[in-house]
Amino acid sequence: MTLLRAEGLTKHFGGVAAVEQLSFGVEPGEILGLIGPNGSGKTTALNMLSGFLAPDAGRMWLDGAPMERLSPMQLARRGLLRMFQMTRVFARVCALDNLLTAGLARGLAEDEAARRAHELLAELTLEPVAYLDAAQLSGGQRKLLEFGMCFIEPPRVALLDEPFAAVHPVMRETMAKFIRRRNAQGHTFLLVSHDMPIVVELCHRAACMNAGRLIAIGPTRDVLRDTAVIEAYLGSGSHG
Amino acid sequence: MSGPGNLWRRRLATDFRAALAIVALLAVLPLMVTSPYTLGILIVSMYFAMLALGWNLLAGFTGQFSLAPAAFAMLGAYTTALLDYHAKAPLALGISAAILATALMGWLLGRVVLRLRGPYLALTTLSFAEIARVVVGNSHEFTRGDQGLNVPSLMESRVGYYYVFLAVLAAVLALLFMLMRGRAGRFWLAIRDDETGAESRGINVVRYKTLAFALSCMVCGLAGSLYGTFSQLVSPELGLLLQTGLVIAMVVIGGIGTLTGPILGALLVYLASEWMRGFGNVQMIVFAALVIVFARFFRTGLWGLASSRLATRGGAPAKPAPSSP
Amino acid sequence: MTLALDLFVNGLIFGLFYALMAVGLAMIFGVLKIVNFAHGEFYMVGAYVYVLVSMKLGVSPWIALPLAALAGAGLGWLVERTLMRPLYAGYGSWSIMKDEYAVVVTFGLSLLLINLVDKIVGPYPYRGPALIETSRFSVGPVMLNGQKLIAAGLSVALLVGLALFIKRSLWGRQIQAVAQNRLGASLAGIDATRTTSLIFAISGLLAALSGALLAPLINPSPDVGAFPAIKSYVIVVLGGMGSIWGAMIASLLLGVLESFFAVYVSYDYRDAFGLLILIAVLIFRPQGLVGERGREV
Repeated sequence: MTLLRAEGLTKHFGGVAAVEQLSFGVEPGEILGLIGPNGSGKTTALNMLSGFLAPDAGRMWLDGAPMERLSPMQLARRGLLRMFQMTRVFARVCALDNLLTAGLARGLAEDEAARRAHELLAELTLEPVAYLDAAQLSGGQRKLLEFGMCFIEPPRVALLDEPFAAVHPVMRETMAKFIRRRNAQGHTFLLVSHDMPIVVELCHRAACMNAGRLIAIGPTRDVLRDTAVIEAYLGSGSHG
Repeated sequence: MSGPGNLWRRRLATDFRAALAIVALLAVLPLMVTSPYTLGILIVSMYFAMLALGWNLLAGFTGQFSLAPAAFAMLGAYTTALLDYHAKAPLALGISAAILATALMGWLLGRVVLRLRGPYLALTTLSFAEIARVVVGNSHEFTRGDQGLNVPSLMESRVGYYYVFLAVLAAVLALLFMLMRGRAGRFWLAIRDDETGAESRGINVVRYKTLAFALSCMVCGLAGSLYGTFSQLVSPELGLLLQTGLVIAMVVIGGIGTLTGPILGALLVYLASEWMRGFGNVQMIVFAALVIVFARFFRTGLWGLASSRLATRGGAPAKPAPSSP
Repeated sequence: MTLALDLFVNGLIFGLFYALMAVGLAMIFGVLKIVNFAHGEFYMVGAYVYVLVSMKLGVSPWIALPLAALAGAGLGWLVERTLMRPLYAGYGSWSIMKDEYAVVVTFGLSLLLINLVDKIVGPYPYRGPALIETSRFSVGPVMLNGQKLIAAGLSVALLVGLALFIKRSLWGRQIQAVAQNRLGASLAGIDATRTTSLIFAISGLLAALSGALLAPLINPSPDVGAFPAIKSYVIVVLGGMGSIWGAMIASLLLGVLESFFAVYVSYDYRDAFGLLILIAVLIFRPQGLVGERGREV
């Protein structure tokens, strides 16, 4: 069964259609890339899928259950977790405490949360900064920490919002490795990204939006060769 | 601090120990200080310490900068006073009613201001506080308005009263410590640091925010109720914005976001203010100036400065200067 | 019928005064997204400078008026310079303490100013000298007080002047730009810091002027600022946080509503009435009359 499904999602702001009749699905175990030039509606779509924005029309399902009315908290309880473009961590407690809090929030017992937190710190190479306040971590370290907070309890599906934006190459590699490793364990990802090489490298399938509509969906290479997609990028003048 | 000393549990434990030390000091003070006048001053400073702890729970730990703590002290005091005035209720009932009433009102206020942040929250709670004060002050039939109400006392002995206040202060401190140690504390801190992020990780922000409001207002209400029985007079002046300003000053100077800071701040500020009376009433000027200076330059307050000194002296490397102000 | 008209006109006049008080606060909110809790004290300082300069130095009230305005502008500029920088130092910085800092610092500033004046000048109210001596004359069917009329007239002039300044002048447009998008504006070459100083100075000037203009009507005492402050908060919220037009409309509206409420419902609770409006607006229509909704993620 399709893990995350959207049908006819529509959102208007003022007179502008930010998202129009968006329908697609994320299959279990895949990494789906959501691409499109600036202003194509990717972030709006993501906000609707993660409970931050109510759609004007359309329906969404998580594991077959309707989810249009669920709040971000309720979605998180059901395993839909989201990472933000502007990294969100708890700045005034240390990195380890961030992970502990995230674990407790997902319902883990304290010792289990602590055990997994330490494992994640090691995996994400964050051990040297484990006890520093999150405010003192570098931007890339904070992103990795946010990954850890999402994965301290395996999510059903992880929605990533431009995770590679403004991240330096070494950090990108660590993050890509993390995604690949988790995906090999069966985790599902929806990845919104501008970074074409990463999309090619990581995503099995891709969905391309333009002006609020879905214009292509399918295996990544096919989508990137699709003429409509190429025109969308060239036409808007953006350099994906 | 870096190193395991910076873990929340450890920071809190050190914090709690220091606060307990202050409480212990207060416990033995009457052995050396017997003047009823001085004891009275200490009792009032313990009243403020409770208000400070209550407000800090909401503002320092949960990030909700309410301007209503004094109003809730007033509401708690009036609950007890009105039950005595109209129904001749025994004080035990009156004080219990104050606790319940302010907890409930605090919870309701929390629900009302759920979606509000920053200045919007401050303005709404300020309005609520002013409306409460004006209503209480104008309801001459019911509350005798500005004249105030008389309240019976719990006991004759001032030393006895001193220990009642101390016991309640210690109980509040212990309750806060237990809560801050566990999930509630972590979730409150998370709401403070990033409410949206907290929500998207599965924290029930609604539940914990309203809980913080309920508890904070309850602590303030309890303090007010007790204070009413001590001063034997309650008036709308208890709820003046000026009183809230004083509480905020105490917490900021002492160290916001800790257990020791509010207690330390309340004691120092109130005792200093009494001491300064002799010098021509400049205490408010001094405290206001200190608040500004501390807010601008010493975010962590007196206790924050002290605890980071303790950390460096203990051998752990000092925390590197934050990259942003 | 004449009562209603009288109430309406008086309400409008008070609305004008409120507008003068509140517009500066709206500007600060528009640019820094904070509420200046010391706003009432700029009003108070203006009132005191006006009264003291004209009484102690024997200067004509018409000269004391601009002096009060200057004092307000200077105070506003000083406050921004010394206390407000941390609010926007460094873009993309972890502005963790921003809201808390603003509340605490401006609250502290308010307490400081009130108590300083109380100590230096004394706690008792002063009587402000009127600008003209004629006390009453009629305009159509309505009786007006001379000072009120002049104050109202000057308020209108100032508000219109401000509106033109914001719309037409170079600085005014810079203010609009910084209010909309601080980072963008500075990338476009606008000195956001200097613009913010200007805004604080204007805010202080307007508040101080309203304090001076109203000094003959509302005798200044150290805590006289509480009243205009609360009115300003209500207005800024009602009009839409940060919208100057919204603040002006809301001021007139509040003035008229209060005027009728005081007579037809309750005189004692007329101030609480405004606060109820504030709460109601924040709960049901937080963007105010004119403002725009926003949710950041």
